[in-house]
Amino acid sequence: MTLLRIDDVYQSYEAEQVLQGVSFDMQQGDVDVLMGPSGSGKSTMLRCINRLTEVDSGDIWLGDTHVTAPETDVNELRQDVGMVFQDFNLFAHLTALENITLGLKRVKGVHAEQARERARGHLDQVGLGDQTDAYPAELSGGQKQRVGIARALAMEPKLMLFDEPTSALDPELVGDVVAVMQDLAAGGMTMLVVSHEMGFARSAADDIHFLDNGQIVESGPPEQLFEQPEQDRTAGFLSGLQADGPQ
Amino acid sequence: MVQTGDWVFVLSNADTLLFGLVVTVVLTLTSLSVGFLLGFPAGAIEVYGDGVLRRVVTVAGGLLRGTPIVVILLVLFFVVSVSESAFITATVGLGLRSAAYQSQLFRGALQSVDEGQLEAARATGMGKLQAIRHVVVPQALRRSMPGFQNEFTIVLKDTSIAFAIGLAELLTQGYNLFTQSGRSTAVLEVFLVISAVYFVLTFLTNRGLDRVSDYYAIPAGENR
Ligand SMILES: Nc1ncnc2c1ncn2[C@@H]1O[C@H](COP(=O)(O)OP(=O)(O)O)[C@@H](O)[C@H]1O
Ligand SMILES: [Mg+2]
Repeated sequence: MTLLRIDDVYQSYEAEQVLQGVSFDMQQGDVDVLMGPSGSGKSTMLRCINRLTEVDSGDIWLGDTHVTAPETDVNELRQDVGMVFQDFNLFAHLTALENITLGLKRVKGVHAEQARERARGHLDQVGLGDQTDAYPAELSGGQKQRVGIARALAMEPKLMLFDEPTSALDPELVGDVVAVMQDLAAGGMTMLVVSHEMGFARSAADDIHFLDNGQIVESGPPEQLFEQPEQDRTAGFLSGLQADGPQ
Repeated sequence: MVQTGDWVFVLSNADTLLFGLVVTVVLTLTSLSVGFLLGFPAGAIEVYGDGVLRRVVTVAGGLLRGTPIVVILLVLFFVVSVSESAFITATVGLGLRSAAYQSQLFRGALQSVDEGQLEAARATGMGKLQAIRHVVVPQALRRSMPGFQNEFTIVLKDTSIAFAIGLAELLTQGYNLFTQSGRSTAVLEVFLVISAVYFVLTFLTNRGLDRVSDYYAIPAGENR
């Protein structure tokens, strides 16, 4: 079943055209990775999917929901789309547990005690069952990002978006976050991941989309894209990545 | 010069000063409350609002901050006559002026909360107001505590300007004491006592507010 359909999406900010006719589909349970140079429009693409950014033209569908239709209730849509941010964006005044219960209580209307129970379950799931009462400032970057993932998962989304989830982390902390993402992928979660983490892409991705200048230059499974890219631009970008090591 | 007889005079009129003290404390609290109730939304409008409302808030704030408080009080009492009660007039005047300053305090505090957190809240499906209320406001209030302590001190001392409209606050009561016939020798003693009272009030409230800040401080966070 097609869960996400991106159809000829254009987007621009005042000064510049960012997305220039992006199209791709994801089946339920797919894990797709979006790669491309800085400024190519990867974050913008993700943000159009949960309407943090509005498209100029084109359509996005999430299951039966016409995401880009003006009458679509964004707050309802966003419960179906989890988002994980490069800078974590944890609520600084709340504990790890409260970061998760806030949305459950305020958006889903879950009763406080039940929200805490569910939040504990999600913290266990990301290996942080012992950090429920820690504040973000007391956690390492890797732990913060795992709380960020748990916070998004708690809303029971149909699709998870990850925007460079490991690129603000010290190299030794990347592994824990990638492991959690691999678990999620193995568990059947549909995930669209902006990342240059080759290990994750190789092990978990169904398809990789290479985005440059707001256009998908090339898409394909990791073996194909990494070993035999058809486009010179793809090859150039990937060889640069491999030479620099993981970002 | 300080004279024993004048100290005795001040002490024997302690009830007059005490009455002034009560008026001063109550006026400080009512003015700060008006200031908060108007100033907090005004600050929020300056950050999140748009259009006419924001214009109005910005212009009104600018006018209030640019006018000496004694002028505000005199105009409200003698020109506009908002109330026959000097106390109510003083509350309105000091309250409006404090609102104009508190709005700037809260504006800065709201802006200082990283926008990404608001976005993360919106991304989980919270409405804008909900996200502001549950994510931004609690952090902004913590960050505005030092500025609020400052504002508390300023309003406390500026209650003495209600002297200009004859309100029986601490300074006015003291003034009434030494202007009684034959008592002008007690000027120094009266002012010493009044100053000490303002100082003690300022000191105690600041310690109290420090405790509130500590209580609500985010563990290991940068906020205090
Ligand atoms: N809020 C914004 N306002 C104006 N321009 C923006 C905004 N966000 C991103 N851009 C611009 O859009 C382009 C694409 O940005 P982005 O989607 O963040 O790229 P990527 O995530 O691939 O690095 C960049 O040139 C960036 O400067
Ligand atoms: Mg980006």
